[in-house]
Amino acid sequence: MIQSSDNALNQPDLNFRTKFFGINWAFVFIVCAIASIGFALLFSASNGDLEPWARPQMVRFSVGLIGMLTIAMVDIRLWLRNAYLIYFITLVLLLAVEFAGFVGMGAQRWIDLGYISFQPSEIMKIALVIALARYFHATSIDDLGKLHLTFVPLLIIAIPSILILRQPDLGTTLMIGVAGVLILFLAGVRIWIFNLIGVCVLLAAPVGWQFLHEYQKTRILTFLKPETDPLGAGYHIIQSKIALGSGGFSGKGFMQGPQSHLHFLPEMQTDFIFTLLAEEFGFIGGIGLIALYCLLLVIGVIISLRARSQFARLLAGGVTITFFLYVFINIAMVMGLVPVVGVPLPLISYGGTAMMTLLFGFGLLLGVNVHRDVVIPRLGDT
Amino acid sequence: MSQFEKHFNSGVQRLEDLRKKSLDVGRNRLLVASAVFFMGFLAVGIRLVDLTIFSGERDLRFINELESDSGQVARANILDRNGIVLATNLPTASLYVDPAMVMDAKDAAEKLVTVFPNMDETVIERKMTGKGRFVWLKRNLSPDQQYRVNRLGIPGLRFQREEKRVQPHGRLAAHVIGLTDIDGYGISGIERYYDRNLKSGQSTIRLSLDIRIQDILHKELTSGISAFRAIGAAGLVMDVRNGEVIAMVSLPDFDPNNDRKVHTNAAFNRVAKGVYEMGSTFKLFTVAMALDSGVTTMKSNYDASSPIKISRFTINDFHAQNRWLSLPEIILYSSNIGAAKIALDAGGAVQREYLSRFGLLNPTSIELPEIGRPLKPSSWRDINIMTIAYGHGLAVTPMQLAGGISGLVNNGIKVTPTLIKKAPGAQIKGERVVTSETSQKIRQLMRLVVAKGTGRKAEAPGYFVGGKTGTAQKQFGGKYVKKANLSSFVGVFPIHEPRYLVLVILDEPQGNKATYGYSTGGWVSAPIVKRVVQVAAPILGLAPSISGDVITLPTIEIQKVDKNKRKEVIQKISARSVMKKGDIKSRNLKGNSENRVEEVTENTRKLYKKGSLKALSSSAYSEDTLINIIARRSLEAMGRSAITY
Repeated sequence: MIQSSDNALNQPDLNFRTKFFGINWAFVFIVCAIASIGFALLFSASNGDLEPWARPQMVRFSVGLIGMLTIAMVDIRLWLRNAYLIYFITLVLLLAVEFAGFVGMGAQRWIDLGYISFQPSEIMKIALVIALARYFHATSIDDLGKLHLTFVPLLIIAIPSILILRQPDLGTTLMIGVAGVLILFLAGVRIWIFNLIGVCVLLAAPVGWQFLHEYQKTRILTFLKPETDPLGAGYHIIQSKIALGSGGFSGKGFMQGPQSHLHFLPEMQTDFIFTLLAEEFGFIGGIGLIALYCLLLVIGVIISLRARSQFARLLAGGVTITFFLYVFINIAMVMGLVPVVGVPLPLISYGGTAMMTLLFGFGLLLGVNVHRDVVIPRLGDT
Repeated sequence: MSQFEKHFNSGVQRLEDLRKKSLDVGRNRLLVASAVFFMGFLAVGIRLVDLTIFSGERDLRFINELESDSGQVARANILDRNGIVLATNLPTASLYVDPAMVMDAKDAAEKLVTVFPNMDETVIERKMTGKGRFVWLKRNLSPDQQYRVNRLGIPGLRFQREEKRVQPHGRLAAHVIGLTDIDGYGISGIERYYDRNLKSGQSTIRLSLDIRIQDILHKELTSGISAFRAIGAAGLVMDVRNGEVIAMVSLPDFDPNNDRKVHTNAAFNRVAKGVYEMGSTFKLFTVAMALDSGVTTMKSNYDASSPIKISRFTINDFHAQNRWLSLPEIILYSSNIGAAKIALDAGGAVQREYLSRFGLLNPTSIELPEIGRPLKPSSWRDINIMTIAYGHGLAVTPMQLAGGISGLVNNGIKVTPTLIKKAPGAQIKGERVVTSETSQKIRQLMRLVVAKGTGRKAEAPGYFVGGKTGTAQKQFGGKYVKKANLSSFVGVFPIHEPRYLVLVILDEPQGNKATYGYSTGGWVSAPIVKRVVQVAAPILGLAPSISGDVITLPTIEIQKVDKNKRKEVIQKISARSVMKKGDIKSRNLKGNSENRVEEVTENTRKLYKKGSLKALSSSAYSEDTLINIIARRSLEAMGRSAITY
């Protein structure tokens, strides 16, 4: 009986063929479709030129796509075993940024490895999901009402958050914080604990305000009342609203967006690329992209629901939440619903690390789907 | 089943339960999270609809506010009669500083001075460190300056889009068009007079000016000033039939586009604002009034053999003939003595009445804020009557003079002068000031002046210029100065069918070799009128005529007068005696003024026939003229209006 039970827990590895066809190809297709929209927009942003943005983005995506499919076929127990390792390595990298990183565009968030440079803060978004999933996988649902057991995951969230806030990068900090808390929620932490955390955050907020950089304060104040400084910090929001408004129902047409092409919007190839889309393709374009994102989210949720182990479920749920936050914060920011924080539009904004991170996350998500029936014992030593 | 197995199974069962519970909680929570996702996307979607489809306009409102902040409504253009732009707007940028944004005022000021060398560094620095969020640094920058300021990259410096008023023709019509201040408000000329209309930006203003004629007049006056070293000049071309001012030049003038500060003297519009004693051109008014009221005829004679001495004044003739002169000769030789005597015959009341009709006693109404008020004598005694007869003792603007003359020549119909173009075929409202017979006679006299008299240098062959010279001595502190003249010529062409009036006035011209040292109107101003007529007439659509003179010159008859019988009628006529002898009592005078004049004239005639006024008769006057004179003097003595229509 014991043996058979053990056998049931230790399933034989799935073969390559099974895994390959176990991948959710609809998901992969949608990812490719969104990325292609991104290529087109970058092409348009450089006035009909593959350089300097579209071509590098395509190369990155191709590499990332292969990476994603590869990761999808890696046994998820590998991630379970190495979860804390990954988390700590990323933490070390964040510390390295603190001491050795270089400043890009006013914030110190980059590590330069010679031919590539990357932002550890982006990697942390996924590393955190893995670490939290690992922690709650090993925790009984009955123990989640115990306050002291919630202390460790909060620490897991807090340490990178503080490091990233110091870079300073308010957007990523918020994303990591919110994603972490949401994973806690998914894991089943009792609601009263969240209430407690909420009260603590509210009490800490005025203190935290003191630690914000002047420009971050300005951004939040500007968000509350952008018209106070139309040519200063409110410029982005106003210009992007105008661009969105000028797009109308069906847009001005590909490569015809005046706001973006006349460079009313600085750095539009990155965080504000959604305005370019809405200006050139209008409401139809904007809602179309949002629908594609929605589909990805729905698939993400389904994968999470179908996963049998807590680790797999939380991993899928965490990645989905992170992805949702990317999309939501970016689009809401562009539309002036939330303050301007540096969050890229996933799969579309120009930038390597964010795309790689996301594709890595998607790889994990697909992996969860492939290995959805793998049962992992709570203590995880399989 | 062993105890162990039981225990084990219950353990497995418990494990399964836990897993199930965990799964359930996890799934529920995930569904809650999904609901949150859904809400988030719903919010974003609604916002997207709001921004892209419904409120494009509403969000553009903000950019509209910025625009309305930075640019005024464009000020309307001013055009000449042919649609040539005389004043328009040029978009420029103005530089201001937001002191709150300036990081290093000293450094910024140092840099700015490199672009604006005329600006004071300490002043800039003070402006940059002041309070407030908006301080002007420099208005209306050139594009190059704007570019260079931008290149300095100083934070806190900003540009405001503005419009600069420019007059493409520069100083040519500067006095008429006037100036706007830096904020675009009219401060002089048409810009001021029509400020409200222009500011609304709706209607362009079309002036009656013809910039081509303006140019001709400007050029000729400028060369006149340099030839005769005059201190200033005034010129006017006017359509006598509808009062349109075709050209108006006042020198010295100014460049409305570049002069930073316009000197008072240059800004002064001599044509509309300056009041001058005009001199002999006034004799036309004197003669017209006398002819019109019947106190003289074209054949009347006046004793100009010796100067008139009245109290401490002496009235002399410049071209003294020292003999009796007929009326045409008085104009021909511009006799002050003759004009004085004619005016005395008419009397002060008649003179005031006519001068008022000619528009010489009240300010002109023309579309300029700069209007000069005539300087009138405080009392109207004989000496005033006599000096005003030849243009001294009453100072009027050149505009007034031109208006009066145009009324004389335009068949006796005076039209209000205007700077605004009249629509073709528009009803011209005019006021009769003299009969058309008087007008005809005046034109004959004016032609005589140019054909044979003091105005010969104004003769432009083929255009039949008629005119009158004027040389007034300028007064300084109550004394007339011999060497300081105001030399003028008023010309009208073609005199048989008057179309245009050309007035040229030189202020303090100095005679040169070509004029044998003379600086009178006939020598310095008449040639300018001639050249203006010659160049302007073809442009105004008048071809020179090769036919002979089209107007009959007045015949000059010198009556041989018996020296012993010479009597000064004016000294004999005592109004009171006339009244007494004529049994004229003011209470007996009834009805309107026309009847009154006729009644008195009739009474006077009866008295004359009875012989009781014989003592007054003089060979210088015909019977009718004498009766008219006596009647009008009597009426004046009774304090009644002495002239009528």
